[in-house]
Amino acid sequence: VPTVSVTVARDVTEAIKVPRALFLPWPMGHHFGAPFHRDPQRRVVLAALGLLESSRESGTILDLPIKWADVRREAKTLTEQGRKL
Amino acid sequence: MTAADKRTLPAADPRESGTQLRPGLWHTINERYPGSMIRKDSFVPQARLRKPLAASRLTLVSSCGVHLKTDQPLDVCHPFGDFRFMRVPSRAKQDDLIIHHLKYAHDDADLDINVIFPIERLQELCEEGRLGRLTPNFFSFIGYNMDPEKFERTVAVGIAEAVVQEERADCALLAPA
Repeated sequence: VPTVSVTVARDVTEAIKVPRALFLPWPMGHHFGAPFHRDPQRRVVLAALGLLESSRESGTILDLPIKWADVRREAKTLTEQGRKL
Repeated sequence: MTAADKRTLPAADPRESGTQLRPGLWHTINERYPGSMIRKDSFVPQARLRKPLAASRLTLVSSCGVHLKTDQPLDVCHPFGDFRFMRVPSRAKQDDLIIHHLKYAHDDADLDINVIFPIERLQELCEEGRLGRLTPNFFSFIGYNMDPEKFERTVAVGIAEAVVQEERADCALLAPA
């Protein structure tokens, strides 16, 4: 069964040699972003699924360049506005 | 401190160099977990998708320790860990679920389960037709335990068999918490 892993620990993922992975430099337990912030959650899921289709070499690790500070800032703004997207 | 001392010191924060590399990681893994299936010189072949995502059946597996509130909770107190895995119906909603796990901060995931177990995002992609369908059940467990050999024999093999034989998944999204 083809698998794609979403990881926040690049060195551990390299060590266990997953067939393909998406790496985000985000805190543990926040692989898909911040609470109620649908957009980054969706972007991460879609990027992972895209990798499932496109990756051709075992051990591929793709970086998704979204800064945690940006995710957190936008999520905080949404929360302050009382919007749960 | 001499110039020579400075050259031998690792960077203050490995994340700054972008490598996130911890020195001696392989030594730690192979020495601490001698039963581990993966070795440094192992090659793990890559299975390929056999049909488009829009026609595929996807499952989700995570070590985040989420399960239905109605299930017997995962044991976070046992010194060796809990070697069960939980089936989470893929139609479940946020209010149906609870996390039992002590080894990562799940405060945000308690507010919105999708930050670690994106069940609602996958349901949406399925409704939009970007994914063929979801397996009836997803899978979750606690990754922390003290017996990797038993873990492989029980949790890893159990989930792998269920994913292939019961759920008949075409592909899997993994979220190692």
